[in-house]
Amino acid sequence: MTLLILRSILVFTLLSTATLTTSLLASEPVRLTDDGSLKRDPRFVNEGKELVYCYDEAPDLIRMMRIRLDEPTPKPMFDNSGDKHQLEPFFSPDGRYIVFTECTGNLSARLVIREQQSKKDAYITHSGRGGTRSPCFSPTSDLVVYAFAETGPQHLWSVKPDGTDKKQINETQGISNWPTFTPDGKRLVYSNSRENNYEIYSMNVDGSDEKRLTNNNLMDIRPTVSPNGSRIAFTSTRDGNYDIYVMNIDGSATQRITTSEERDDYPTWHPDGKRLVYVGERAGKFDLYMVEVP
Amino acid sequence: MLEFGQFKANTCSGVGRRGFLKTAASIPVALGAGIPTLAEAEEARRRAKAKSVLLLWLWGGPSHIDMVDPKPDAPMEYRGPFGTIPTKTTGMRFTELLPRLASRSDKFSVIRSMRTSNGGHPGAGTVGLTGYEENAGPVQPNFGSIIAKHRGQHDALPPFFYVGQGIPRDLPRRIEGYGGGTLGKAYDPFLVSCSEQGQVGIPTLKMLPGMTPDRITDRKHLLTQLDQTQKQLETARIHDWKRSYQAAYGLLTKPGARQAFDLTQESESTRDAYGQTTFGQSCLLARRLVEAEVPYVQVNWSEYVETFTPNGDFGWDTHIYNFELLQDRHCPIFDRAFSALLDDLGDRGLMDDTLVIAMGEFGRTPRISNRAAREHWQHCYFSIWAGAGVQPGRCIGQSDAKAEHPVTRPITPLMAGTTISELCGIGARERAEMKVLDGGSLIHELL
Repeated sequence: MTLLILRSILVFTLLSTATLTTSLLASEPVRLTDDGSLKRDPRFVNEGKELVYCYDEAPDLIRMMRIRLDEPTPKPMFDNSGDKHQLEPFFSPDGRYIVFTECTGNLSARLVIREQQSKKDAYITHSGRGGTRSPCFSPTSDLVVYAFAETGPQHLWSVKPDGTDKKQINETQGISNWPTFTPDGKRLVYSNSRENNYEIYSMNVDGSDEKRLTNNNLMDIRPTVSPNGSRIAFTSTRDGNYDIYVMNIDGSATQRITTSEERDDYPTWHPDGKRLVYVGERAGKFDLYMVEVP
Repeated sequence: MLEFGQFKANTCSGVGRRGFLKTAASIPVALGAGIPTLAEAEEARRRAKAKSVLLLWLWGGPSHIDMVDPKPDAPMEYRGPFGTIPTKTTGMRFTELLPRLASRSDKFSVIRSMRTSNGGHPGAGTVGLTGYEENAGPVQPNFGSIIAKHRGQHDALPPFFYVGQGIPRDLPRRIEGYGGGTLGKAYDPFLVSCSEQGQVGIPTLKMLPGMTPDRITDRKHLLTQLDQTQKQLETARIHDWKRSYQAAYGLLTKPGARQAFDLTQESESTRDAYGQTTFGQSCLLARRLVEAEVPYVQVNWSEYVETFTPNGDFGWDTHIYNFELLQDRHCPIFDRAFSALLDDLGDRGLMDDTLVIAMGEFGRTPRISNRAAREHWQHCYFSIWAGAGVQPGRCIGQSDAKAEHPVTRPITPLMAGTTISELCGIGARERAEMKVLDGGSLIHELL
């Protein structure tokens, strides 16, 4: 009897530990690039057949590139970027626009909302020195949300694709960053630092009804909601290293996807919702990897 | 006994001691005599442990509060978004951006009470690398130039190297204190660059069209080229040009010298450890130069301080995107490369003979700016020291609750330069004879 009780306690303890943060037995990641240069911001386009990402083309230039999954020879996204750093691309779901951050001069950056067919640009700037960050499109492609600091705290802002109707969304203290929409377009998921480190929150698009989704002492950043809206992939350093995690949309059932001793960051969902692409550091080299998510 | 100095000198373990300099012998400098005592000379000889100095110059002003001096209890307008992690040093925590270094803090000591006199990049860069301001008078020599003059040329390799893309600068101009200064251009650094793939470039050779290390196989042809080009220069410049060319020529034509630049001789695992970044591979090149017994190597994080500007190579000057760039780029690169360097030097038995320092020209405003970033802050910043006589595992000096000012004895760049020189065997007597580092004192807490 005593042995049975001990076994039950052991099983219960193991199960309890497993539900906190588990490591998914995901398939082995597939490497998609092999140049090893510093990379960031991968995004799927063209129904998941292509990826756009940014990388260090030179010590003084971040370039946006495009690759096909079936023929991964990278090509520049734009022909005439010149010497401007371009990063953080996000495509409107209807395929009409791309929005990205562009360096315009010393310590200055702006959002560029480019209509892909006409190549017409709308520029989003704020007064004075500073940089807009982390733009994303709404599921209906009629709104861009991004981060910017005007008075110290960094807030989330929205603007229409033509550059009009710029509005501040939240008044939260700390640094807000990496906004992303839920597929129904009703809520934003993002990170904020007011609790001594970056945690992930969700709120209505008008800034109301904020809910905290993560709670640990180290950063939880770059949330991205799955295409079916059921889960959030994000980067966290909670286990001592930058790794990719997945949790339910309500913040429950956090599961660890990557376990490398080196850095894994910038998760992005494949449109099928079953795979993630991320930037993985292996032996000091940075490449794109794709992994199936159980 | 003589005592002077009124600040506390604390270590983070909580053991405080008065920061007085006590000596049983009189200090002739303090009394105006200007002649070091025999006791000081002996002490200097005892301390002379560094065959080489390796300075990682974190150009642009890295944010101390977001790296090695976090203040999690400070108001939100100060503390920043990063959590903190323990190190191996009792009482010392880093932000979560430096996990590798945190786990290696028993290999180095951190000074959290640095203070400089200048809040602009070129000026602070000169102060940081010479100990003195850029005045109307002659520019004082770089610490590396002092060591170079003291040690002289070693075989075919110049005694003072810069590894980087160019002389540190901001957009308007470069720093004045990059080289020989009052000691003369003979002690300027010899510049080499290193790409993320470990390809080493020697900019001096670009003066000769089509002349690259790979193409130099005909010694006679090289000599002819040198003669032809030399005739084209003004007389006033030939002397300096000739010296640089001599150095470059020596590097190219002597196999032992060329070997130092060949990173393909390193194992894949060693190259991987440093990371495929310009700074990472530059640190590996620096280690090879140290192994080749080059007395002074300065690895420049970037040529330009500007962190986000066209044609800028991402310096530490994070007036915008401070938090994003530190976590996405600067700290991961620095954490990996510096950790690999410490491991590598230790594995090769070079730490006892190599003084390693990492620092910038100042820190950044603890109070977060309107743009959610940080501006220049010369009142408090950090440096990291390891090897060659430095007692590791210490946290030296403290800043106040908001990381705005030291509450212990401020440590200045002049003190840093004096300590470097002392550890290289250049004691007070020699410094006086060279007329360098006048008024400098040692960072005793390191020793």
